[in-house]
Amino acid sequence: MRAYQDMVFSTAVRLTANPAQAEDISQEVFLRAYQSFENLRSSPKVGGWLKTVATNLTLNHLTRHRKRWRLFSEVFSDDSREEDVASAAAVLDTALTELEADERRARVEQALERLPDHQRIPLVLYHYEEMPYQDIADRLGISLAKVKTDILRGRVAMAGLLAQGGVGAPDDRRRYSSTTRGTPS
Amino acid sequence: MSSRDQTDEKLERLVSQVLRDQPLRQAPSSLEARVLGELAARARLPWWRRGVASWPAAVRVPVVAGCAICVPLVWVLSLWLAARLVTVARSRMAGPLATLRHTGHALASFGAITSHIVQSIPREWLVGGIIATVTLYAVLSALVAVGYALLYPRPGPDPAIPRLT
Repeated sequence: MRAYQDMVFSTAVRLTANPAQAEDISQEVFLRAYQSFENLRSSPKVGGWLKTVATNLTLNHLTRHRKRWRLFSEVFSDDSREEDVASAAAVLDTALTELEADERRARVEQALERLPDHQRIPLVLYHYEEMPYQDIADRLGISLAKVKTDILRGRVAMAGLLAQGGVGAPDDRRRYSSTTRGTPS
Repeated sequence: MSSRDQTDEKLERLVSQVLRDQPLRQAPSSLEARVLGELAARARLPWWRRGVASWPAAVRVPVVAGCAICVPLVWVLSLWLAARLVTVARSRMAGPLATLRHTGHALASFGAITSHIVQSIPREWLVGGIIATVTLYAVLSALVAVGYALLYPRPGPDPAIPRLT
């Protein structure tokens, strides 16, 4: 359990952005693992099994609140302009390299937690779980176009949040305050 | 590839790099204790409060065999009971059903007579009657409205509320 608890907890907390809920989900994952202990003890795929169960349980948990974030996802349209995307890339490209590893880790995790659900969940599934766009759309029950839009806006908003944290240039901060405005936290 | 696509791709690459460079979040120290505590609590439960799969074989086999016998037995019994109930209900309801049938016949006869009478009245009389009824109804409503307006006493201004002028 000790070997995998950080991985299971990270999977859950990055999707939920809520450590308490992530701990509950992690507990449930390990209880299920103990139920399948005989099959898992000799399996080399135990890590993958735990990660899949953690992802599925977390998404099931989030599905209970799905109406809320789905609604927001549909209300706020894609207004990310090309210059927003370019500035976001500039922030990520330059600013984070100036930080110490610990500070950088903390700042990225905070930015991820502050993203609204409808952006963070597909973003995490895409970048951490390496799920294709279509699988994310199927799993979340939203359109493929919406998944792509939400992920793009999530990237821009994340860069904006990093910039607001004092990382980026003043111009970038001003621009991102308009990009992330109106998104539920 | 357009410049927008290029910037999108660059942003995706950078975000991927930033996120994948992140170390795992450290699980709370309470997690292990919670899991072990829950497992211990489950282990303390008596066998009959756990899932059937974890029951002792000496209990599980007779229970499964008993269920295999009971299920078809209950099925046959409920079919027999339903058939019996239908038979009893039919015999009990024979009297009321006959009364209901006679009432239906009487109502049908009454409807036929009424229809015959209505058809024998000239169409002009029927239209005139309907117009007269509607007119009388409208006149009565107007009289009630006028009477209400004239006769109902209206309260004066509240002396406790000062006038704006």
